[in-house]
Amino acid sequence: MRLWLGTAVAVAIASAPLAAAAHHSFAMYDQTRIVTLNGTVKDFQWTNPHSVIWVLVPTTGGQADLWTVELGTSPGNLNRMGWSKHSINPGDKVAVDINPLRDGRHGGSLKKVVLVDTGKALTVGPVSPAPSAP
Amino acid sequence: MRGPLDLWAGRPARHTVAAAGAILGLASFAFTAFAAAPPNAAEVLNPAPSPSDWAALARLPDWSGVWTPSPLVNAGPAFDDPPAWTPKAAARVARMRALSKAGTPDNIYINCLPEGMPSFDLMTLNAAEFLFTPGRVTLLSEFDPNRLRRIYTDGRGHPEDPDLTFSGHSVGRWEGDTLVVDTVGVKPQSFIPLAQDVGVPNGGDMHITERIHLIAPDRLQIDLTVIAPRVLTKPWTTKRIWTRSRLRKFDIVEASCREGDFVPDTDEDGFAIYRPIVIDAGGAPLAPQPGSPK
Repeated sequence: MRLWLGTAVAVAIASAPLAAAAHHSFAMYDQTRIVTLNGTVKDFQWTNPHSVIWVLVPTTGGQADLWTVELGTSPGNLNRMGWSKHSINPGDKVAVDINPLRDGRHGGSLKKVVLVDTGKALTVGPVSPAPSAP
Repeated sequence: MRGPLDLWAGRPARHTVAAAGAILGLASFAFTAFAAAPPNAAEVLNPAPSPSDWAALARLPDWSGVWTPSPLVNAGPAFDDPPAWTPKAAARVARMRALSKAGTPDNIYINCLPEGMPSFDLMTLNAAEFLFTPGRVTLLSEFDPNRLRRIYTDGRGHPEDPDLTFSGHSVGRWEGDTLVVDTVGVKPQSFIPLAQDVGVPNGGDMHITERIHLIAPDRLQIDLTVIAPRVLTKPWTTKRIWTRSRLRKFDIVEASCREGDFVPDTDEDGFAIYRPIVIDAGGAPLAPQPGSPK
């Protein structure tokens, strides 16, 4: 983890000043396109206000590109949708459908993630409160 | 706006001042003048609740449980009639909509300052809960980061010259099973929102009324009227519907506004720390891009 985080920090310093994520619009993602990433989970960032799956996607040269897949909500709501912090784990083989960043950079917003080994599919949808207990 | 803690803190302070004055033989005139002054808002005591005050809470409608707001429609609140914007505000809305459509959103909450009113009702996608205590309704939300509102129901009015806040000063009264809330004192920067990337700062002198009531056993509606003479040509009426759950997995949890800007890591001494990640201009997390060292 240390190595790739170090790279991320170096890039952060070398590029623009950090904006804050916070509550943000998802307009930077192309809602009209779906791209499927086939790769391996590097990390599952279970954080507020949005959680992020970091996915390594193999390239033709035998390397791998690192992608961010942003989930449009928080752990509180994800728990209510049936997710947990253990839903996705480092090393999991995944097929992830995303709305990609419009500018072509390696990021997207989650539409669906399928765990290849089990076939289990997870999506981020509206919270549907169950009826109250009688 | 003073809470009980302020008053507890205030009383010993006066005694301390009195004691110091007596010992030093100084400031006695000033203290006497202070003590003889007519009561003002700063000296009003919030009385301790009586057993009957607590018992009266049982007669209020049952708003317990966790309330999830209705989904946003096209990333904004649903409403029947659009706000009647002034021409200048309308131009701003059109400009922000164009930026959103172009994929370069101008986010209204990205600085993590409190979202405030009326965003608290209209733009959150996070759950909330109500607490009833004598003289007050408290709204506790997961809206980043765990925003809250205090609505005083003890019969007080608004301060004459309130310190402005993002959510304003709210007083409420019960009309049957409907809580009617009146809010003023909102900072001019608080947005009247149409989406997370479309909103107009209210500009000051905003006045909001809410009528909060059950419309079904597990459905609660907040009817809002927003009066904002600096940016609206007539009051805007809108609403938000919330749905109750009693499932324990719905319990409100800690929320934060900027944790997602960091990843957990370990420093050179082995301490657990957060390291910042790269965020694009619109707030999306970015991985190191091709061409940068892996």
